[in-house]
Amino acid sequence: MLTCNDICLDYVEATRVTHALQGVSLDFAPNKLHGIMGPSGSGKSSLLYILCGLKSPSSGNVSIDGKSITKMPERERASLRSERFGFVFQQPFLLNYLTALENILVGVSPSTLTIATQKAEALLTDLGLDGMGDKYPSMLSGGERQRVAVARALIGNPSIVFADEPTAALDKENGYKVMQALANWAVDHTVIVVTHDADMLKGADIIHYLMSGCLIDNPHTNVR
Amino acid sequence: MRHPLSPLTYLTRNPSKVLPMGFVIVLCVFLIAAVASIANSIDLTVRTIYRYTEFFTYVIPQRSTQIVPMDQRAVLELQPEIERIIEGGVFFVNIKTVVGRLPFVVIGSNPEERDYLLKRIGATLESGRMPGDGKAEVVVSKPILENRGLKLGDVIAGPLDEGGIAGSPVPVKVVGVLKSDIWVAMSSRTFTDKTFLLTPKCLLFTTKIPTDLDVVNERLMPVGRKADGLLSPEKVNVLTRASLLAEVRDSLSSMYMIMEVVSATVIFVIALMSGMLSNIYFTQRIPEFGVLAALGISRARLMMKIVWETVILTVIAWAIGSVLSVFLLTYLAANVFKQRGLFLDAMDPWAYQHTLPIPVAITVFAMVTVWVRLKRLDAVSVIERR
Repeated sequence: MLTCNDICLDYVEATRVTHALQGVSLDFAPNKLHGIMGPSGSGKSSLLYILCGLKSPSSGNVSIDGKSITKMPERERASLRSERFGFVFQQPFLLNYLTALENILVGVSPSTLTIATQKAEALLTDLGLDGMGDKYPSMLSGGERQRVAVARALIGNPSIVFADEPTAALDKENGYKVMQALANWAVDHTVIVVTHDADMLKGADIIHYLMSGCLIDNPHTNVR
Repeated sequence: MRHPLSPLTYLTRNPSKVLPMGFVIVLCVFLIAAVASIANSIDLTVRTIYRYTEFFTYVIPQRSTQIVPMDQRAVLELQPEIERIIEGGVFFVNIKTVVGRLPFVVIGSNPEERDYLLKRIGATLESGRMPGDGKAEVVVSKPILENRGLKLGDVIAGPLDEGGIAGSPVPVKVVGVLKSDIWVAMSSRTFTDKTFLLTPKCLLFTTKIPTDLDVVNERLMPVGRKADGLLSPEKVNVLTRASLLAEVRDSLSSMYMIMEVVSATVIFVIALMSGMLSNIYFTQRIPEFGVLAALGISRARLMMKIVWETVILTVIAWAIGSVLSVFLLTYLAANVFKQRGLFLDAMDPWAYQHTLPIPVAITVFAMVTVWVRLKRLDAVSVIERR
C-alpha cells in the first residue's frame, strides 16, 4: 500500500516562500481508483509527483509497502517507477519516431520484448486501437495518442498507475474512454488520478480534495 | 523485433539529425587521411624513385678526386657479402617530383655490366633497343618516360636542360624502354667517359644475397655515424637507401610536425563541433529523455543509449570516410599525382591511423557534454512543460 505522511513542499524564490503542500497525509488503499481534485495551483500535481518518487518533498515521507520512497537513491526510485508504477501524463509524450506499438514498449526490458509485444497488441485492442500499432503518433488523433499513453502505462503490469490530468487535452468522449480504461485497471490495481474535472472522476472509488496545498478532510467515497 | 530504444532504431529513423553529423565525420576523415597520405607520399616518392638502392649501392668519391681511391676500393673488396663491384660513369637527367625538378642518375656501363645490373633489378627490354656503344643514347624504365611525358626516340637530356647538374652537352635520345617498376636509366660507358670528362666515376656494388646489402652498407658507413664505418667519409660517400630515407625524413621532420599540429587541430575542432551538435540534438530530445526518465529508465541506461548511438554513428561514418578516401585518393594518385612525380599510397595505414582519434574524440566529447546535461535533467519540468 502507498502511504504518505505529513508531506510538505516549499518553493523558495528569492526571499519568498510558497507552501505548495502543507502536511498532507494519505493512505491509498489497493485495488481502488483514487481521485485527487482541486483547483489549479492547489498542489495536486506536485503531490502526485512526490507520491511516485519523481519529486522530493521538503519534508515528510512517502512509503510503499512500508519502504520509504523518499529516502531511496535515484537509481532505486527509477527502478521502482519502471517495475511497479505506470504513468499517464497530461500530454501523451509519445516519441514521434516510434510507432504506437513501439511507444507502448519503450519501458519494457529487452529480455521480455516478445511477450510484451503480444500484450501490447492486446492492450491496443482493449483500448479500441486495433490495427493502429504500426501508425506513428503524427498519424493518430489526440484521443488515440492518449490511449497509446495509457497502454504504455499498463504494459509493465504496474501495481499503481499515476495519471496527471489525463483527460485535460481531450474532448469529453475521448476523456471518458481514457477514464474507463483506468477504471478497468483499478479493479485489481491501484490508480491515482489527478484532475480538476469532477465529471471525469465519476467512477472513482475515493476522491481526495486539495486546496492551497492542504488536504480537505472527509474524502468523498463512491461505492462500486 | 528490435527494441524501441535500440540505438539503431533512432539512427535509422532520424536521418535529418544523423546524416549532417555523419557527413561532417566522413569529410573530416577524408581531410585527415588525404593530408597524412600526401605528407607521407613524399617519403614514398623518394623510396619509389630511388628504389634501385635496394639492389646496389653507390660509392662516390669526395672532394676533387675523380675516382674512388684504391684503399677505399680495397675495403669493398674485403667484404665477403659483396658479389660484384662495377665502376661506372654517370650523368643526370631531370625528373619531375612534387618538390620540383630533381636530377636522376644515368649509369654509364659496358654491355655486360649493364645486363648484369638490369638482371639484378629484374628489368627487361619492352621496346626499342639497348644504347649503342659511345652513342648519346639511353635506355630507361617506363616510369621515367611517363614522368617526363616522353616517348621512344625523344631527347631526354640536352644542353638546354634547366637545373643544376642535370643535362648533357649533346642531346641524348631514348632508344629503349625497360619493363620495370624500378626507376633506372643506363647509357654506354664509352659515351659517359668521352662526354662527361669532369664527372666523377662511381663504384657500384651488389651483394650475393640481395638482403645483405643493408648490412654491408651499415658496416661501411653507418647512417648518422659516418665516422664509425669501414670507409672514410673524407674520401668517399655512400649512397644507400637508409641514408636517403634518413635524409628525406630529417628534411621533412618539420613538415611532419606541422601536419601533426594541423591534424590535431582539425580533430579538436571537429570533436568540438560534433560535441556542440550533440548538445543541440540533445536539447531537441530533452522531452524524449525527460519522459523516459519519468517512466523509470535510469540515467545510466539513457547515457548508454546516447553513447551507443554516437559510437555506431561515428564508427560507420569513419568507415565510410575511410572507404571514400581510398577511392578518391586512388583516383587522385593515378590521375593527378603520378604525372607530377608524387607517389601516393591510397591505403597508407599511417594515414588512416591518424583518422582514428576522430571517432574517439567525438564520442568522448559527446559523452561528457550529454552526461552533464543528463545529470541536470529534471523529468518533472519536462512533463509539466515548464
